[in-house]
Amino acid sequence: MSEMMITTDELTKHYPQVRAVDGLNLRVPPGSVYGFLGRNGAGKTSTIKLLLGLTRPTAGAARVLGLDPRRDRVAILERTAYVSENKRLYEWMTPVELLRFTRGFYTQWSDEAVAKYVRRLEIPLQQPFKTLSLGNRTKVYLLLALAQRADLLILDEPTSGLDPVIVDELLRVLAEGHLAEGGTVFLSSHQLSEVEQIADWVGIIDQGKLLLEAGLEDIKNEFRLITAAGEGLPAFGPPQVVSAVQAGAFWKYVVARDAEAFAARLQQQGATITDVSPLNLRQIFLALTRKEEPCMPGNGGERTAAVSSSI
Amino acid sequence: MLLHVNPSSGVPIYLQIEGQVKQAVAAGALKPADVLPSVRKLAADLGINPNTVARAYQNLERDRVISAVPGGGTYVADGVPGLLKTEKLRRLRPYARQMAVEGRQLRLAPEEIVKLVQEELAKLGESL
Repeated sequence: MSEMMITTDELTKHYPQVRAVDGLNLRVPPGSVYGFLGRNGAGKTSTIKLLLGLTRPTAGAARVLGLDPRRDRVAILERTAYVSENKRLYEWMTPVELLRFTRGFYTQWSDEAVAKYVRRLEIPLQQPFKTLSLGNRTKVYLLLALAQRADLLILDEPTSGLDPVIVDELLRVLAEGHLAEGGTVFLSSHQLSEVEQIADWVGIIDQGKLLLEAGLEDIKNEFRLITAAGEGLPAFGPPQVVSAVQAGAFWKYVVARDAEAFAARLQQQGATITDVSPLNLRQIFLALTRKEEPCMPGNGGERTAAVSSSI
Repeated sequence: MLLHVNPSSGVPIYLQIEGQVKQAVAAGALKPADVLPSVRKLAADLGINPNTVARAYQNLERDRVISAVPGGGTYVADGVPGLLKTEKLRRLRPYARQMAVEGRQLRLAPEEIVKLVQEELAKLGESL
């Protein structure tokens, strides 16, 4: 196995009010698209700032491209293209001026790539930046990032404000350009369907802690929703049971692995298994991050309505 | 475009690609020596990760459905997949189980379930 593009070791960032990042251990393999997923305020942007050396950790350490962000920030930024969450810089420039200004900083810069992406992503070049819509600002930042032809792309909510046609085109552009050349993408998002299309690794973070990190296709092969009917079924089970929800006579269990073994165990307790089905990323994300109140008979119906509306 | 994928279906994308290629071969829509798009091209067309396409192609090659010539493209392989009989049966069993369960739930007679499979086999037979 070649060296990881990003690793973190118990990475921690505490602010006076919050533990934004709380003992995070990430492994981002080279050549992967790593979807870094979490709810608002889960710690995604704080983590990215730590990776780029834009803020210092309270404890723990990170390595990006084998370098330490606390010491080698400049070297990391030279080899990493970063699209920040708020996409606000150089308000007075037009995209054309911004391109001219930026290209000098990067040795791998490709004008050919710029021309291609301007056409494919339909980017207006002559308008002053401050008059651009959020979608068009995002596109310009993506353009700046892609034209650097960096080894590592770090994208913080890269598709905010983009229409579906441009999102689709962006995924194609990534697949045929950056990824085909062996580049790595670290992508924070809560647009789960896009992540599901392009990512091969996912890390799910909540309240600064990593809930899950694995190959996306492996997760899909392992996670199952088990629906069981019967009296006195357990409200929680072995560790692989991620959630258990009651709806009348039925229980719905989301299990992270070994679904058949757990289903067999339920059958031994007198349950009838009515369905075992795979889950998509959105369903897995919800099962992991939703704050469940304890399962009471009274709120069973309401809870299931919420779950089934997402399925 | 022959292949299409649904990333949000819960079925891994590489399995969707594998399934569609196998089905196209079984139905005669893809014939031996037909050319498949390169990993890069298919990934770009579908907007998906090249690693995912590569994984599907590797599995298809392992199953001898396709063969890759280094630097020279990917083709539909000659002849039947060279799997052991027990392995073939193992792979097919989950589908048989699903047919049996669904059929039972719909209160179909066993003969009717078997007949359905035979009809589908007959349809494939015509196109071979």
